[in-house]
Amino acid sequence: MPTLHQQIADKFLAKLAASKEIDTGKIEQLRALLADGKKIKADEFVKIFSQLDGGDIK
Amino acid sequence: VIKLESVHIEEVRGIRKLDLDFRKEKFAISGPNGCGKSGVIDAIEFGLTGQMGRLTGRGTKGLSISEHGPHVDKVKFPDAAFVELRIYLTELGRSATITRKVSSPKKPKIVPADADVAAALAEIAEHPEITLSCRDILRFILVEPTKRSEEIQSLLKLEEIGQTRGALNTAQNRLQSAHATTTAQVLSRRNALLLHLQISTLRSEDLLGVVNKRRKLLELAQLPELTTDTELDAGLSTTAKASDFNKESALRDAKALADAEAEFLTLAKSEITAIVADLTRLEGDPSLLAALQRRPFIERGLSLVEGPACPLCDSPWQNADQLRDHLKAKLSKSEEARKLQESLLKNGTAISEKIIRVAGLLAPVLKLAQGQGETEFAQLLTGWKTDLETLRTKLAAVDKIAALKKRLAGSWLEIPTAFSPGLKAFTEKLNAKPDQSATLDAQTFLMTAQIRLSDYRQGMRDNKAADIARISAKAAYDTYCVVQEDELNALYEEVQKDFSTFYRAINEDDESKFTAKFTPLQGSLGLDVNFYERGLFPPAAYHSEGHQDGMGVCLYLALMKRLFGKRFTLSLLDDVVMSVDAGHRYQFCKLLKTQFPDTQFIITTHDRLWAEQMKSAGLVTAKTSIAFHSWTIDTGPLVESDQEIWEEIAGALEKGKVEAAAGALRHHLEYVSRLLADQIGASPQYRADNNYELGEMLPSVLKRIKEIWGKAADAAQSWGKDGEKASAVERKALLTTCNGAVNVEQWAVNKAVHYNAWANFGKKDFEPVVTAFKELLGCFRCDSCDSWIYVTPRASPESLRCACSGINFNLKTKSK
Repeated sequence: MPTLHQQIADKFLAKLAASKEIDTGKIEQLRALLADGKKIKADEFVKIFSQLDGGDIK
Repeated sequence: VIKLESVHIEEVRGIRKLDLDFRKEKFAISGPNGCGKSGVIDAIEFGLTGQMGRLTGRGTKGLSISEHGPHVDKVKFPDAAFVELRIYLTELGRSATITRKVSSPKKPKIVPADADVAAALAEIAEHPEITLSCRDILRFILVEPTKRSEEIQSLLKLEEIGQTRGALNTAQNRLQSAHATTTAQVLSRRNALLLHLQISTLRSEDLLGVVNKRRKLLELAQLPELTTDTELDAGLSTTAKASDFNKESALRDAKALADAEAEFLTLAKSEITAIVADLTRLEGDPSLLAALQRRPFIERGLSLVEGPACPLCDSPWQNADQLRDHLKAKLSKSEEARKLQESLLKNGTAISEKIIRVAGLLAPVLKLAQGQGETEFAQLLTGWKTDLETLRTKLAAVDKIAALKKRLAGSWLEIPTAFSPGLKAFTEKLNAKPDQSATLDAQTFLMTAQIRLSDYRQGMRDNKAADIARISAKAAYDTYCVVQEDELNALYEEVQKDFSTFYRAINEDDESKFTAKFTPLQGSLGLDVNFYERGLFPPAAYHSEGHQDGMGVCLYLALMKRLFGKRFTLSLLDDVVMSVDAGHRYQFCKLLKTQFPDTQFIITTHDRLWAEQMKSAGLVTAKTSIAFHSWTIDTGPLVESDQEIWEEIAGALEKGKVEAAAGALRHHLEYVSRLLADQIGASPQYRADNNYELGEMLPSVLKRIKEIWGKAADAAQSWGKDGEKASAVERKALLTTCNGAVNVEQWAVNKAVHYNAWANFGKKDFEPVVTAFKELLGCFRCDSCDSWIYVTPRASPESLRCACSGINFNLKTKSK
């Protein structure tokens, strides 16, 4: 049975994907971060959101 | 996930050696305080998780499992202290054994040692809340909303959610701030480019006009348009690019800085004045900050005011209006604090933007100073620029702004005293340099223009990226908040519904319309309960303490149901059922049976009557319950089971320990007398202190049972049931015989019941006493199911029965 945290995380990611406000690559990284089970730090989110859309190609 | 089949405990807490057969069923452990019940719970918890809540929770500083987990006589031999649990994995349909030593709690021996068993144990270890003790209950009910929210969040492991939300919020704020910084940097770089090009706008034709003029002079191809990859110095040879020093441009940079210096004293004057005024207010009234933190709590309180009692602390007021005015005054104070915080951050951001501008003016001059070998001046500028960057960081946090008051109230830019003369001298040196040839001027002009254009382009890219990051973070945070709120509201609704259902089930006689309401607010969870349909009030407002305790148990069960669903297979309730008042115990048993048929509750209670009621209600059976009658440091808990009590007494007598045998018999007789008095409705002389002596309880039980057997015989005769009558008469006769046997030893019994002097008897004197009582008590039990007999209904008995109905005598005489 998924924890409430996991349930919220799944719905959060689904809603983000549906809204298309965030690049899919970032959503996948958020998914990995939220599934990790560790305490998430703000810096980890900052790192993901600060990445250029489209990956490492600049 | 799991159920318990059995446990073997050795040298753990107050237990020396104990085996319990749980049979995967609900199980009751009863006995007086201090007899080792909680030790069993500790041992099970330890066996499952390696933890003991009583040694690791709040208020347990100085306690540890390694030092205080073993029996006190085995502290130096913790290897001797261990628990062996036989568990059943409900989903896998198989059993496993866990052996865990106090000396190595994190390294249990698991057989079979496969991943499924380890996963099941890991899940249990994640949920220490399977153990609920009496002291844990009230933390759900009688706490302020913020604390309750914390407790429930902790139980449901919601802190992870709060933590994720907090991290998203922090990320959002940081990226917002980063975006503001890049925006200011773009402006600064734009100004530097304009200054160099000596144009007022960055329109393509203006820029290409001044650039192509220099390119023509250098006989370089004209740039037809300005595209994203246009290089203004394209075509310049590597040799020509050896130096980008452009005297005219350098002088303009130095002049721009010198001109700005005059404005430095008044830079961000209005923002500085405002921020200093705000800080002065905060300094003069520290309660403003505290008021800000209390704001949500007070808002909730204000909405709950319904009478002259404070809904937050129950303090009485003259009237509701006066209380409302008081709360409004507090709210007005916290509103003031909130606005103050907003104002501080807003002005801090504005000042930061000015700092970026100053730093933008310093940067080209610093680069020039470094390029021209003006080390001392370059160091001065570097030091100042670094200081300004640090100041900018501090202006982004309220607590750090508060510490800047002194600086902000003075010459906050803290211009180094050597700056002005240094800049002047540097400008003179620049002026003294020979004028550059038109060609060199054109070359360096183009090179510097390209560098600044690149900086500007990079600044814009950074700003765009920062904007995307800011928008992404905000979208993520907003989405998370919405999802979290929806989920938690749904959760609280579910829990609130189950909580109300459970409480109504227990109190169906007088609170059949009970309802409860959770009010989740930011960081708090209010709870109101219906009081006899007079409205919703906090639990402590009108309900008795017993009812509040009952609410605690119901809320726990509702939360566990939500937390585990069908996986709620095991719960250790340590003396928790005492929270249910006497009038509602059968309903409580029914609740556990009907609502949690697949949950194995291991229930301890110090009330033996409660333990018997659990049996009568069918929650547990004689085989799934155990009673401890006492505890000694040498033996641990002494088990009181019908078979074992006589074996224990016989064993003690065999060793010549009459004192131990006498103590055990007396305990047993006291227990059974009280139990039977309740079960058959005996009437000892009433004592307000409920402190009945064996000498008054036992005779009243014997008198009552004789009456009942007489009634059974009369009833059978009235209905013409000769066989039943004969059986009743026979049982009464047997009772009389056994009672006679006791009476034969009356001299000995009297000493016990009146003077408690058995301990001084010899073995030969005491053995007949034991035999006599064993036979006498046998008259009150069913030979088949071994349960004690009881009358029903209790108020006006109509039949005498045992648990299996092997004994079932009608007591109602046929009406004539």
